[in-house]
Amino acid sequence: MAMRSQIYEWDASRTDGGGSAIAGSGANQAGRRLSIFVGGFGNNITKPAETTATEFVVIEDIAVSPSAFMKANNGAEAAYRGLTQANGLAGGRSFVQVRINTTDYFLDPDNIPNDGIPGTASPYPRSIDFQPSFNLYPDVYVLPGQVWDVLATYYNAAGFAYDSGTILAGQLQCFVKYTLYDGPDALIANKLLEMGISINPGNVDWYKRSLLGAQ
Amino acid sequence: MINMAMRSQVYEWTNLANGGNSSLRRSTSDVPVAVPTDREIDVFTGGYGNNITKPAETTATQFVVIEDIAATPVRDGAVQIRINTTDYFQNPDVTNQDGIPGLASPYPRGTASTVAGTDNLLKSFDLYPDVYVLPGQVYQILYTAGADDSGSTTVVACFVKYTLYDGPDALIANKLLELGVTINPNNVDWYKRSLIEQQQKAAQAAAAAAAGGQA
Repeated sequence: MAMRSQIYEWDASRTDGGGSAIAGSGANQAGRRLSIFVGGFGNNITKPAETTATEFVVIEDIAVSPSAFMKANNGAEAAYRGLTQANGLAGGRSFVQVRINTTDYFLDPDNIPNDGIPGTASPYPRSIDFQPSFNLYPDVYVLPGQVWDVLATYYNAAGFAYDSGTILAGQLQCFVKYTLYDGPDALIANKLLEMGISINPGNVDWYKRSLLGAQ
Repeated sequence: MINMAMRSQVYEWTNLANGGNSSLRRSTSDVPVAVPTDREIDVFTGGYGNNITKPAETTATQFVVIEDIAATPVRDGAVQIRINTTDYFQNPDVTNQDGIPGLASPYPRGTASTVAGTDNLLKSFDLYPDVYVLPGQVYQILYTAGADDSGSTTVVACFVKYTLYDGPDALIANKLLELGVTINPNNVDWYKRSLIEQQQKAAQAAAAAAAGGQA
């Protein structure tokens, strides 16, 4: 299959793939950018995400655990919609950024890289209480031979629930949806890129049909 | 990495800051800061919450299309767009107003209408047509809040989703504006395709003419 829909889910409590669960009540990793692939925390993979010379990746959606805005001195109050309250928030105040090689995708209006998409705008999982305000369109392209990463950052460590200082499952999660184009379809994806046409399965099929028509 | 010529961007503002009323970087020690009542606050450089280094503006080779704005509905929050010195949302008598209420465009979606509320607000407002920020213009997103009757400092937030067109795509965006065509990634791609088709037809016509001349 030369075009494949793919996903990757990261949970800070998991340890498969060599990562460790976030411990110490999250204080040490708060404010730091954590690679969800090889960052050493949560479930990890064996090597950084990269495309080979015959692969093309199109990232179509990213999301991270949501937060809610409350009021100051709310640390002793009951959980709000399943999220722990602390420091005027409910939840961990999490963000997710995409990095291609060494370049961050999301910038502030002053052209300085920011933390990325807030989980409040692109929540994972989605629910009635937490709905998306953000849609990753146009998509993000990872060209052949590039290294890419998805970086999660949280600031409100007290907004997570812990067991003996170790973060519980479902408190900090990240989700990436992408399409992997391989072999001939990666070549077509490159051709579409040269032509300035959006790369999606529909346009790849359109290009194939136009080639067949030309024959 | 290639220079992504169309990029989906977001900016999230909250009244959370560290060591004063505002800070440039989010930090793990951010606390809610009081926001004045009934006063427009620039979410980029207004001096409250997280700010950026300079006012938001487009360079000569950039074109910004603002696609969504939203605000927390608590404190009767509202959000306005200002391009250079002109407010976008006006009353029918052409007087100034606070802009889109957070009740109509809530952030996050699904949030409650009050801090203690249990309802799930959905959006009543869709920013369509989009708002264009032409090359060389300065733009502001202004947040206005009513009185804080929570007995504490309520955390408020504002959200902006926009697409940044840069380089050649900004030129195409300008061309689409001249043509009266809506500026979105689809139409920019359509314009590129039409240019390519014209070039191909011209090349075919030239080849046919050359072949005819030889005969």
